[in-house]
Amino acid sequence: MNRPWVPVVLAFALFVIVWKAIVVIGGLPPYILPPPEDVAERFVSAWLDGTVWPHFVTTIVEIALGLVVGVGLALIAGYGLARSVLFERLASPYLVAAQAIPILALAPLLVLWFGNGLASKVVICAVIVFFPVAIATMVGIRSVDDRLIELGRSLRATDRQILTTIEIPGALPSIFGGLRVGVTLAVVGAVVGEWAGASRGLAVLLNLARGSLFDIPLMFATLLTIALVGVALYLIVVVLERRLVGAR
Amino acid sequence: MNATTAGAGSGAIDLADLRFAFPARDGTSLPVLDGIDLSVPAGGIVALIGPNGSGKSTLLRVLAGLLRPTAGTVRIDGAEITGPDARIGLVFQEPRLLPWRSSADNITYPLELAGVPAAARVERLATLVQLMGLEPSAVGARPSELSGGTRQRVALARALALEPRVLLLDEPFSALDALTRERFDLELLRLWDRSGATIVLVTHSIPEAILIADRVIVLSARPARVVADVDVDLPRPRTIADLDEAVVSRTARRIRAALGDELAIAEARRPGRPAVTDVPTPAGIAS
Repeated sequence: MNRPWVPVVLAFALFVIVWKAIVVIGGLPPYILPPPEDVAERFVSAWLDGTVWPHFVTTIVEIALGLVVGVGLALIAGYGLARSVLFERLASPYLVAAQAIPILALAPLLVLWFGNGLASKVVICAVIVFFPVAIATMVGIRSVDDRLIELGRSLRATDRQILTTIEIPGALPSIFGGLRVGVTLAVVGAVVGEWAGASRGLAVLLNLARGSLFDIPLMFATLLTIALVGVALYLIVVVLERRLVGAR
Repeated sequence: MNATTAGAGSGAIDLADLRFAFPARDGTSLPVLDGIDLSVPAGGIVALIGPNGSGKSTLLRVLAGLLRPTAGTVRIDGAEITGPDARIGLVFQEPRLLPWRSSADNITYPLELAGVPAAARVERLATLVQLMGLEPSAVGARPSELSGGTRQRVALARALALEPRVLLLDEPFSALDALTRERFDLELLRLWDRSGATIVLVTHSIPEAILIADRVIVLSARPARVVADVDVDLPRPRTIADLDEAVVSRTARRIRAALGDELAIAEARRPGRPAVTDVPTPAGIAS
């Protein structure tokens, strides 16, 4: 495995070839499925002529803030769920119920409450990120070996020292599992939020490309951008995980 | 602040009418320690032996300040123990190393918690690594990369990090194979020789108890009382060969005799009664 990127490149090439084959063999018109080279060309031009950029920045800011808020609250709540039976009993029915309502159904309400600017998207991202990260944190904290905590107590560790030197490192692998799910959901949250009402963002561009602009290659280029944002966020989490969790 | 040596000759343990009971679900309580009186002079070394579930590990946890006695006191050098104490080093049955830390960082963990500056930690680490005969390659390795014996060596080094006057060991070598175990027993004696710490060793092995201890304390089936306090009349330094002495079989016979009835009691009680293990749920009870 001295060239781990080789299979990645091959798989991508295969994906493009199959796409092209479907277009050619199926005789599909470009407004149904544009060929890969058209999308690639439009992707590059849309980035270069500044079509994508403002929308991209808007969406990224929404995702970033939504992640900070959602993950922050989820870590605290997850710890509470793991360590307080009372909190777990009181909060978990609402958490599960809230999770059972599709974000698509919730988004218009949140836009109504928080306006169609940044705030509503941050809230939607935070809401959608919250559940998997909170549950992963709870599971992670619960999985921490009680015997290690006893060791800490025998060494006169303070509660804070136990948290930072035993509980958090012990829960980290699980928390990262939740983050992997969370960051990809954050992208979904931003797109859904913009769909429910916004003046700028990648989902707005998607709508424009499909509707008034009727620029189907641009639509695909935007979809590609959204997908790449998700992949990039996921990779950031993986790299962080390697750094912080490492070999055990 | 707490890593200072209190001076040779300290580390005397006094238990007076020590009682401990676990609260049970139905509001009653389950007595585990039933009035234990025991004195270990500074620098002494005693072994605790008793039937399974007799409360040996509970006794050790009360000694370590992890569990509060229901009645009675634990004193070290005359001062009552009310919580975990820097003068006490504790070694568990399993190594209990933090799996995400290297051996070095595990060994210096107590120093880190106590706020010892990094430079002093490095210095102490070197001493401990040498004392425990750890290979340089093992020092930088994670616990998962080490053998069971090396892990327990690291755990011992960690317990010695704060230069405790009292070392409590809860069946520390029971997971090791018989030959490795003998070697560790001898190393423990060497450590004891060097540090002069008072040692309390919980064990299931009569030969191990005889090889190591000045006195073997035999505990009854739960609730635990001291049923025999057997002197081991073997000169020091001891070697494995000493285990062939006639005095050893005499001592072993006395320990077995004291233990015999208690084993029968513990055995007869097994079915029906709720399983009470030696190891209580640790989190939350103490501190």
